This record gives sequence, C-alpha cells and structure tokens, in this order.
Amino acid sequence: MRVMARRVVRCGAGLILGTAAAAVELLFALLAGVALLPVAAWPRGRRAVLRPVLAGARILAELERGRLRMWLDLRVTPAYEDVRALRYVACHWALGVLGGVVMLTAAIGLAYGTFGVYGWLLLDGIRNPGSLVLGSLGGFFLVFLTVQGIFGVVGLEGQLARHFLGPRHQEELERRIAELSASRAAVVDAVNDERRRIERDLHDGVQQRLVALGMLLGRARRSQDADRRDRLLGQAHDESRRALDELREVAWRIYPTTLDEAGLRAALETVAERASVPVGVEYELAEEPEQAVATVAYFVVCEAVTNAVKHAAPTRISVAVRAEEKRMYVSVRDDGCGGANASGSGLFGLARRVAALDGSLSVDSPPGGPTLVAAELPCG
Amino acid sequence: MRVILAEDSTLLREGLVRLLAEEGHEVLAAVGNAELLLKAVAEDPPDVVVADVRMPPTHTDEGLRAALEIRGRWPGVGVLVLSQYVEKRYATELLTGETEGVGYLLKDRVVQVDEFLDALERVAAGRAAFDPEVVRQLLGRTTHTDLLARLTVRERDVLAEMAQGHTNAAIARRLHISQSAVEKHTNAIFDKLELTGGEGYSRRVLAVLRYLGS
Repeated sequence: MRVMARRVVRCGAGLILGTAAAAVELLFALLAGVALLPVAAWPRGRRAVLRPVLAGARILAELERGRLRMWLDLRVTPAYEDVRALRYVACHWALGVLGGVVMLTAAIGLAYGTFGVYGWLLLDGIRNPGSLVLGSLGGFFLVFLTVQGIFGVVGLEGQLARHFLGPRHQEELERRIAELSASRAAVVDAVNDERRRIERDLHDGVQQRLVALGMLLGRARRSQDADRRDRLLGQAHDESRRALDELREVAWRIYPTTLDEAGLRAALETVAERASVPVGVEYELAEEPEQAVATVAYFVVCEAVTNAVKHAAPTRISVAVRAEEKRMYVSVRDDGCGGANASGSGLFGLARRVAALDGSLSVDSPPGGPTLVAAELPCG
Repeated sequence: MRVILAEDSTLLREGLVRLLAEEGHEVLAAVGNAELLLKAVAEDPPDVVVADVRMPPTHTDEGLRAALEIRGRWPGVGVLVLSQYVEKRYATELLTGETEGVGYLLKDRVVQVDEFLDALERVAAGRAAFDPEVVRQLLGRTTHTDLLARLTVRERDVLAEMAQGHTNAAIARRLHISQSAVEKHTNAIFDKLELTGGEGYSRRVLAVLRYLGS
C-alpha cells in the first residue's frame, strides 16, 4: 500500500511537471509552426530554419525523456531522429494538458473529501451535516477516479513516447537480426577456438606422453642390461598411467559427462573438488535448468575458476548460482591479484557463448583484485 | 655423433637426450625454441640437428624455418625435422635447394627407436631420411599419376623404400630380394619416370622426392 501511494505521488508530480513542460512545448510548437510556414516552399531556406527548430525539439524531447525516466519509470531508447522528436513535441503538449486536468481534478476531489477538516474555518456553522458527509464521500471517490486517471495518463505517456521516440517495429526487428547474426558468428568462432584448444590438448599433452612412453619401451627393448631394462619398464608403466590421466583430463575439458548424468550442481562440485584452491559453491536453484543454459553456466564457472587458479593466485574462490524471475545469475569471485583481461581468449569465448543465449557476462577485475566474473542467463 | 635437439615438450626432449646418450651420441645442447637452436648451432655446429616443426611462440612452423636457415648457413650440418603430422608443404620446402642431409619424420616415429636412430645416422652422413608415411602421401597425391601407373607393384615398393632414403642394400634386406634385383628395379623406375638418376646416392633420393612432391 505504501509503495502504491508513493508511486501515485511520484507519478502525480511527474504529470504536474509534464503540464509545465506542455506550456513550453505548446509555445515551441506554435513558434516552430510560424517559423516553418514562410519557408515551406523554399527548400534552401527551410533547411536553415529547420536546424535550430530540430535542435530545440531534441532538447525538449531529451528533457521529456529525463522526466519520464525519473518520475514515471518509463525508459525510452535515445536513438531517435530529430524529426521524430519534433513530431513528439508537437503532439505531447496535449497530453501534458490532460495530465494537468487530471491533477486539477485530484486537487478538487481532495478539497471536497477533506472539507470536514477545515470547513468550519470557512463556514459559520454546519447546518447540513448529511450533505457534508456526502460531499466528502464524493470527493474521495473523485480522488480514487483521478488515481486511475494518473495511471491512465502515464500509460498514454509511455505509448506516445514509444510511438514517436522508441524504435519502430521494423528497426526493432533489424536490430534483433543484426544481434542474432553477430552472436551466431561469435558462437561459430567460439566453437572453432575450442576445437583448436582440444587439438592442442591432444597433441601437446596426450600424444607427447604416448610418444615418451613408446620411447621408454623402445629404450628398454634395446637395453642389454637387465637392471636398466627393469627400471625403464617401471618408468614406462608410470608414464602410461600419466597418459591415461591426461586423456581423462582432456575428455573432461571437452565435455563433462557429469553434467548430463548428475546435473549442474554435481558438475560444479566436481569443478570445486578438482581445483587446487578451496572453492565454495552456493547453489540455490530449485530445479535443474535446461541443458543449454546448464552447459554455459558450467563453462562460465569452469573457465573462471581455471583462470583464477592459473593467473591470480587466490586463497579462496566462491561460486554462486541462483535464479530470480526466469533469470539465472552465476558469479565467480576470487581474492586473487586481479587484472584479468576480459578480451583474453578464454573470457572472450565465454562472453560469446553467453551472448548466444541472450545473456550477458561481466568481468570486474581491478589490479590488486578481487575479481568477479558474473553471468546473467535467461532460463525457463 | 654430435647432436643438437630442439623440442618444446620437456618430456620428449628429456627422453631423446637419454636415448641418444644411451646410444653413445653426444648431445651438445637441448633447447625449447628456434631462437636458442640457431644460437646453439652458431656456437658449435653439430653433425646433425633434430628439430620439432611446431615450437613457441606461435606453434606453427618455427622449427622448419630454423631448419631451412641452418641448411643455408651450415651446409655440413644434417637436419632432421620432426612433425606432428604430414605436411606436404614442409616436406617440399625441405627438398628445395641442393643441400643434402635432410630428413622429415613424423614425431611418432621416435617410438620406433631403431628406425629413428637409423634415420638420424643417415641424415648425419649427408644422406636423406623420409618418413614412410610422408612418402606414402606424396605417392598418393603426386600429379604424376600417369607416369606412376607405368610401374609394377614391385617397382612401386622399391620406389617407396628408395624415397625414404634407404640404400639399395637396405632395400634388398627390407623387401627380402637380392641387391641386383633392386638395382634392376631402380633402373626401370628411373626410365619409366623419366628421371636422370645415378649421380650419388642421396641425390637420387632427392630427385625421386622432388618428383613426387611436384
């Protein structure tokens, strides 16, 4: 109730300001009309007159945008052309006047409603208490109606601003298509980067170990000395175990099967167990997210933890996963030395993966730390 | 032999150093990148250099570049290049120029210790050593298929062995035929492929390889 009342007061104040603005806008619209009339026929002169008119319109539209944002909680993108600003200003004054009328009605209703409080100051005596009560009730009813009126006008304000200043449907579609093309290309790049990394992992890790193992066996076979042969075979045996470990590591890095089998929580706990630094996991999801989201969330945590351990020398890393209103928030915080580069290949690849799901990734890592990698993903 | 090694994987580098020491060779230096390799060769030229193609910083072809430079500046030093997989481009680059004592092996070939050591000795002695896999791919990809089609199955076997850099005696041993039979086959091969062979051993191999690589 208090929140509601506060909102009514704020919107009401916004409407009063809007009425004040309407006076300026009406004046401006009239002057602009008068200035533009004589030059309507001459294109060259029209351009000279249009420039200051459009500049003025933009200033007024920007002021209006500020008012809508601050008082009425309406957000409109600033990317509009000057001509549309002029049209907006030319139409908006009428709405300003309507807002003023609503607020005036509210004041009248309030005056009638509270007449019982101050009425005795104005009248010598109350002869007719029944009509006074009725008048009060009528006043309060008027206040109730004007509250609805305030919201109605706010709704109209929003519609008008969106119609004139907001992106047009076509633009909206084009912007979205551009966004999707970019994120699709980015995903393809990210996938290729990962493939490169996997190839590297296989060649520089597993294959080297296997070659070393083969060499040890080869040396053992050539050895004439039984003791040395045994020693070499022992080394080869150890090396084969290391090669297997390496292979398991690489396979895990390519895709953690735990994610499919036991879900995101289990996969994140495994990441925590495998890290050489203590990692705390706060997992607050009521239900398992869909697979695409879970996979990206997993890789965000995995990459951020790996990066922190590799570059920041932290003493502790904390991972938090929570969901709120169909959005999932993943954050990885470490107390290391900071200075992480968000455009570095790993984090950049992550950002692309997150963007592909219409999410956002932020990296905050001042020199000296701490580092916070946070992702916001739509889910459900 | 006096050897210098360039390999960025510490594991393999150590393994190779041990292997060569056990075989009685002297490892002058074992380094992890091309820059240090060139420095080491300039300080004390060895008989043979073993270099990995992919090395830091870019992991593309630093090792090969260094190998080509060594061949240009110290013609007496044999160069054996180890590659992760067959790159026809690298093989053909190594084959340009007149110098001898080159080799191109797949890294995995190191596991066949005998073959690796044999290849190393051939390269150090100014002959050639090419990986059977490299040769197989060159044979498969060459533009001279029309001429290759003239060869008999046996002649193709001999050609493949020859391209790897084996001597006639070694080919005879490996294919279980007499040395005179090998000589007969090689003459037939040179005739059919319209190659002028015969002048010196390694040159013959290089001629074959260049033919296959073109």
